[in-house]
Amino acid sequence: MKPRLLFGIIFMVAFTSLVMYNFSGSIGSYVNFEQASYRFGSETHVIGTWVKDMPHGFNNQTRTFNFHMMDEEGNVRRVVYNNAKPQNFEDAIQLVVKGKMKNDVFYSDDMLVKCPSKYNDQSLETMTAGASS
Amino acid sequence: MIGILGKILIILAFLSSIAAIVFYFLDSKHPKARYSNLGHAFFIAKGLFITVASGLLLYLLFTHQFQYYYVYNYTSLDLSATYLAAAYYSGQEGSFMLWILMSFLVGLALIKWTSPVYRSPMMFFFSITQFFLLMMILGVDIAGLHLGASPFRTLQEQMPNLPVWQVNPDFVPADGSGLNDLLRSPWIVIHPPFIFVGFAMMTIPYAFALAALWRRAYQDWIYPALPWALGANLSLLIAIFLGGYWAYETLSFGGYWAWDPVENASLVPWIVGVAGIHTMLVQRRSASSKKASLIFAILAYILVVYQTFLTRSGVLGDSSVHSFVDLGLYSQLLLFMVTMIVIAVVLFVMRFREMPSQEREDPILSKEFLMFSGALVLFLTGLVIILGTSSPIIGRLFVDHPTPPEMSFYNDWSIPFAILISVMTVVTQYLWWRKIGNAEQLASQLIGPTLLTAVVTIATIIFADVRNPIFMLYLMAGYFALIGNGWLMVRILQKKPRMAGGTLTHVGFAVMLLGFMGAAYDRPMLDEETKRYNEAVLRGDVVDDEGFPVVQTINMIELFKGEPKLVDDRYLITFVQSEITERDRPGEQEYTLRIEDTRRNNRSFYIYPVLYPMLANSTGGDVSWTVDPHVEMGIFSDMYAYVAGSYLVDREFDNWTQGVFNPVSQPVSDGLPVPESDMIQTVKVKRGASVSVDNYKLSFADFEFLGTDEYPENATIAVRAQLTLTNLADSVSIPVAPTFAIVRENDENVTFAPQVAIGDTPISVRFINVNPGTEEIELELSGIRQVEQKEWILLTVEKKPFVSVVWLGTILLMIGFSFSIMRRWSDQKRRELREKKGEDQLDENEAYA
Repeated sequence: MKPRLLFGIIFMVAFTSLVMYNFSGSIGSYVNFEQASYRFGSETHVIGTWVKDMPHGFNNQTRTFNFHMMDEEGNVRRVVYNNAKPQNFEDAIQLVVKGKMKNDVFYSDDMLVKCPSKYNDQSLETMTAGASS
Repeated sequence: MIGILGKILIILAFLSSIAAIVFYFLDSKHPKARYSNLGHAFFIAKGLFITVASGLLLYLLFTHQFQYYYVYNYTSLDLSATYLAAAYYSGQEGSFMLWILMSFLVGLALIKWTSPVYRSPMMFFFSITQFFLLMMILGVDIAGLHLGASPFRTLQEQMPNLPVWQVNPDFVPADGSGLNDLLRSPWIVIHPPFIFVGFAMMTIPYAFALAALWRRAYQDWIYPALPWALGANLSLLIAIFLGGYWAYETLSFGGYWAWDPVENASLVPWIVGVAGIHTMLVQRRSASSKKASLIFAILAYILVVYQTFLTRSGVLGDSSVHSFVDLGLYSQLLLFMVTMIVIAVVLFVMRFREMPSQEREDPILSKEFLMFSGALVLFLTGLVIILGTSSPIIGRLFVDHPTPPEMSFYNDWSIPFAILISVMTVVTQYLWWRKIGNAEQLASQLIGPTLLTAVVTIATIIFADVRNPIFMLYLMAGYFALIGNGWLMVRILQKKPRMAGGTLTHVGFAVMLLGFMGAAYDRPMLDEETKRYNEAVLRGDVVDDEGFPVVQTINMIELFKGEPKLVDDRYLITFVQSEITERDRPGEQEYTLRIEDTRRNNRSFYIYPVLYPMLANSTGGDVSWTVDPHVEMGIFSDMYAYVAGSYLVDREFDNWTQGVFNPVSQPVSDGLPVPESDMIQTVKVKRGASVSVDNYKLSFADFEFLGTDEYPENATIAVRAQLTLTNLADSVSIPVAPTFAIVRENDENVTFAPQVAIGDTPISVRFINVNPGTEEIELELSGIRQVEQKEWILLTVEKKPFVSVVWLGTILLMIGFSFSIMRRWSDQKRRELREKKGEDQLDENEAYA
């Protein structure tokens, strides 16, 4: 075998394993609030929905946006988002908060707001209800 | 009617694409003018069908035919003509149409300019891609399978279960749901077309490579393919640049790049495309790297398809800010991708044995080997980014429900690659242009640039206080690439300016890399108080109401109207005014802030961040707000500011949730019934002073202790205040003298403060406390509307260094690409001419013989 080819193969194997190792370390798994509370002090991603009828709002003192979120298992926790209320927050069909859980409060530095395709059968139904009667 | 016509046109286009595939295949197998003419005819027919269909879709959009789902979903009556036109590709179905249309135009260019050797097989592969794209918008059922989503489907087809259809089958909504507010930006007019021109052009190297395999012409295909490959990469680069600029300037994504899957979707094909260009250049020069050129040309397009699959199939649902509607195209997209891969792999394997392999190895210090290795490093960079983007799929190897990787994954890997590539560009370029035989000569040539690099790097490290060793290395590599390539460029410009495209590209690349460095130093600009608070948070000294430590730092500043705040020890920021302008959207607000640079003679400038409610997206009582940041561009750093919240937002929001939505700018308090509780307020006033309460002025002249005969019953002390209430509107003053007393009741001191009506106004006053020390009294006023709250805003200002350097680098890259395209294109023309002449001469020779 040519030395250069051998070197290339060794390099590729080393490179691939290093990348994959690093990759596996940098991805996490989506968890619910219960699981997040066990992972003390580590970054977690939680998927859920905004609980509209619980207290929420921007705290001018700590400059945080506070709201309650229900995760996919139905656990409701207070979320402290370290920023202004994100765009599209009210329309979101789903939220992904990234952060740490401490004492049953989820401190989030990053939030992904998933919006519907702006369009759902429900809203049209209410809209057409008037038109058809 | 038009909808049915549109559907039929798409079906006809689809059938024509099948016919084109068949005839191009026949012509490739058994070349006959009849076959190729038929192939072209069907190809052009397909293009015409899709053009007319696009025209119909535009017509539906412009005439607001909301019975069509696409029109209903992406437009509304208030949209301007520009956005109505842009709505053509604002949805997924339309964007496929744009892609097909662009491919058609590119295909026409191929028919015109490609040599007959490759034309038919190329057009065969090209038509296959068109076949799949057309299938995405077909919208027909074949044997129980639903193929594609037609842009011409009606609301009723989209949602047959709505009750309204039973009552009124001809129901047409009065208005559409409107274009997403975020997309209402001039950038939508220009960004998507470039993306799809880029995607369409990326098909050309793919088709060329496959045609080369088919024709067993492993060398000659690169000459005509090179300018096309460069063009495809230029288009993608422009598209990426426009997207980044849009995200940064108006979408407030926080920066120009976030490693978002959709961004990566166009970046990776670009990187692999660039790798392919380099191996083609190697091949052009020394007839080596043949397999690599083929592989990269094929791979770049497959990656376009793969990333299309990732972003449009719903796989990336949880991880991207670009929420694409899942149209149920998963299987079709998968089939598209798999077919493209299978065709390429089968052809490649079939020809693999007979492909000429390199006889001798290039020495390590040769331009061929280094350039090839450079291409390989680019390719590896692309691979890492794909790996990260594919986390929802590949991540399942490690965890059940994988999240996207941390941003640091991309950064940690791209930084060393960037360093490596930077150094390689210089070494390879020197080997390419200078006559260099060995390492010693190379070293002597590079002494100047290296020394200069060292000086500049050390100066930067000291001046900018760079502490991170990786960053130091990165800086050095960036400067080395800039200086090395720049020096070479100057030489080439002096001798052969026509050839300078390549070095200019590398200079642009280096400038861009240096600019990226700035992103590591992005930080919010804060006032002293907030900084101290943040430090306390980091020390763990701050606890919240419930006694838990606060862990989050604050990254915005609170400003009150007219009260300047010193930020970063340097800039004095004043909130000057806020205004509901409604310039581009209903309810739009514009804020005016003055920034004075105290280190530069108080040179001041104004910034105008904008906020607007997303009314088109909002339903019911909920209103989302979106910011449009103000970017103050500077040579060394940008100031990036947006209003994160304000009194005005709160007030408007309150008004809307109360159902009084009135987007026209007027004082909101007018005409609204004010609840009783809001009309009671407490004011403090000192002796001899006065306070303004709404439209009234309340003056406190003096107070007097009452004599015991005037005491209320059981009082221990009693005071009376001499007040005057002046109505500022008509300047009528009414005196009033309320009493305050401490009364002894059941051995307890109780405040005695009767409510006193002021003249015959609805206003009454109660004297509720007195502070003898400061001579300040406290009064409760009823009947006057709440005092206007202080006008406050929360402002996020970030300092973003070297953003303009990134733009400069990108633009240099584009110019470099453009020069290279022109050069390669004219090279190719001359080459064709020569070949023709050669043939003519051959004919003459034959005649002589």
